[in-house]
Amino acid sequence: MTRGAIALVLVALVGACASDAGGSSSRSTSDSPGMDEMDGMTGMDHAASSNPDGAPDAPVTGAQGRVPQFVVECPFSHALRDDPIVFPGLPGNSHLHLFFGNESADAYSTASSLLAGRSLCDQRLDTASYWVPALMDGQTMLTPAKSVAYYRPGAGVDPRSIQPYPLGLEVVAGSAGAEEPQSTAVVAWTCGTGIDREVLPPTCPPSRPLRFLVTFPDCWDGVNLDSADHKSHMAYSSEGACPSSHPVPVPQLQFSVAYGFSGDPSRLTLASGAIITGHADFFNAWDENKLASEISQCIHRGVICGVTSGRD
Amino acid sequence: MINVPDDQPTIQGAVDMAAPGDLILIQPGTYNEAVTVETNDLTIRGLDRNTVVLDGEFELDDGIRVVGANGVAIENMTARNYTRNGFFWTGVTGYRGSYLTAFRNGDYGAYAFLSYSGQFDHGYGAGSPDAGFYIGGCYPCDAVISDVISEYNGLGYSGTNSGGDLYIVNSVFRFNRAGIVPNSGSYELRHPERASTIVGNTVYSNNQQDTPAIDVALLAMGNGILSAGGVKNVIERNLVFDHDKTGIGLVPFLEEDANDDQPSPDTWDQPCAETLDDPLPDPADVPDAVLWDSHGNSVEGNVLEDNRAADIAADSAGTDISTLGNCFSNNTFSTSAPTDLEPLAPCSGTGSGDWTAGVLNVASWLGETRPPSADYQTSSPKPQEQEQDNMPDAETAPANPANNGPMTIDIDAITVPSKPG
Repeated sequence: MTRGAIALVLVALVGACASDAGGSSSRSTSDSPGMDEMDGMTGMDHAASSNPDGAPDAPVTGAQGRVPQFVVECPFSHALRDDPIVFPGLPGNSHLHLFFGNESADAYSTASSLLAGRSLCDQRLDTASYWVPALMDGQTMLTPAKSVAYYRPGAGVDPRSIQPYPLGLEVVAGSAGAEEPQSTAVVAWTCGTGIDREVLPPTCPPSRPLRFLVTFPDCWDGVNLDSADHKSHMAYSSEGACPSSHPVPVPQLQFSVAYGFSGDPSRLTLASGAIITGHADFFNAWDENKLASEISQCIHRGVICGVTSGRD
Repeated sequence: MINVPDDQPTIQGAVDMAAPGDLILIQPGTYNEAVTVETNDLTIRGLDRNTVVLDGEFELDDGIRVVGANGVAIENMTARNYTRNGFFWTGVTGYRGSYLTAFRNGDYGAYAFLSYSGQFDHGYGAGSPDAGFYIGGCYPCDAVISDVISEYNGLGYSGTNSGGDLYIVNSVFRFNRAGIVPNSGSYELRHPERASTIVGNTVYSNNQQDTPAIDVALLAMGNGILSAGGVKNVIERNLVFDHDKTGIGLVPFLEEDANDDQPSPDTWDQPCAETLDDPLPDPADVPDAVLWDSHGNSVEGNVLEDNRAADIAADSAGTDISTLGNCFSNNTFSTSAPTDLEPLAPCSGTGSGDWTAGVLNVASWLGETRPPSADYQTSSPKPQEQEQDNMPDAETAPANPANNGPMTIDIDAITVPSKPG
């Protein structure tokens, strides 16, 4: 680390205490999410979006404490070429995935089997399963350090309106078949717990290594646990509101994976293809009572139930 | 009054049926519960501190967590083996943890976050990777930590972005990786840490190699009282001895993934309530690396010995430390870094001497390897769990909600503690 090169900036940009009044909802004007081309599926499906320009609002980022949240930290569980959402019952059909949360997750997982499975997350009653494509350095899979799932209201959404995800909800965020860079409001890379949201992995120092972040849609159609493209039953909120097509506000899950990787990222690819094909899957099997409690005790009460410091 | 288990078999059941102002008395036993409190002004008390045990069995998250409920007092019990915290208050005005034992919990023993007007007294915290006791994210906090023992943690005390009428007094911090570590960082609100008053504590032997420890605790290892980017703290009349690095050190914290830039010094005295509507920073304006220097701290009248890098020290990494406004006077010590620290930076009058002679070189700490963290679940704090003092009159004392502010501390009356026998 070159301490001599650090520029000290003493100009205040904000006062010593920053806003509590909810997150910024500035619109991300770059990049559309791209067309979806799902593994093994014919034809193309467009992700349903409530935003006319196709890009969701930027999620709440920055110093924690502005909006209510609960947080779940999980160690890396296992890697499989399985995908219980996209290829249910077909083990080995998928690109390599890194699974976090439920130890039992595989191609045969159902909501019931996940509920009966075991989680090593710091919230044991989060028996949901989260997975992302493996990050590859050439032929070598990079073993992730941990994941952090942030559950917050979407930018500008009234916290008291947030409802639990239904048990068994299956959602994909981001596109495994993306041919152009995706919006950082959906898929982004950063170093440590910083505020930057980059389209491509940045060069990170060893003390604040690489992290991958995916923001899930926060509005549910209220009916379907899944859809043909695993997206259309969900939508992203826009300027604090859910569209009439997807009227049920649910927590906005931001799922991050920390890798102990620093330095030149130019050799990195994903098991799903180019580095721009980042995506993540969420199979909700939270203990229903615990999920409802976290939402009512933390989100509805406007309280921070947990933070992640990156101080590990 | 609600008696557990006579009136309600579970603590949560008692909490759920309680009205504001009620007293809940818990009989000896082991309770495998994670209790959430949403009702104001409850007093939740164990009838015997050592045998009323909340045990999370490494499956449950927090022993008792108080979410946005004001005035809740928790007294005279033990919480152990939780994946997160023994006792946790968040987003409250009015809190108190008295005669609490927190043992082997995955984040903190006793933890108050974004909360005001509170105290931890007569507590014992051990075996947590982060800190035994933590107050973070408040200014002015209006809080007191008094008569606690914190040992075998990553940090004895940690407080990120907290301060202002925050008193850490008359307590013991020993056998942690590092003792008392107020610190700043922009990953949470209310930065920087400022204006904590650290007086009359016994801080010793914080070089422990086999505790659980978060990364920051590893980095701070071997220091007694370490301000990492803290501002305007008052550090007086502490007894600090036997550390591999500094007894009292004022050092920078380098944040390499900042969410915000440092607030300018003219905003340090602004209560957070006045700046709630300030706009968020544009990410493009936030520098990649923010060096939080320790500014304006006063270190006076402490007694220090056998701190092997320096008894008292101030350092930076790029900033001219003579401009940081820290001062040192009337300390009883042998070594300092820079060598002329007290003559250079007196708390009254003009300083003189050579700032470049015998500097601490804190940047060199980053290149050192340290014994890794132990697993908090399996590492066993030493000594083994032992009995701690009960509160007086647990059975008969009335309800005592935490709604009239923390205990008053006569700071001027505190003298340097004697060395433990």
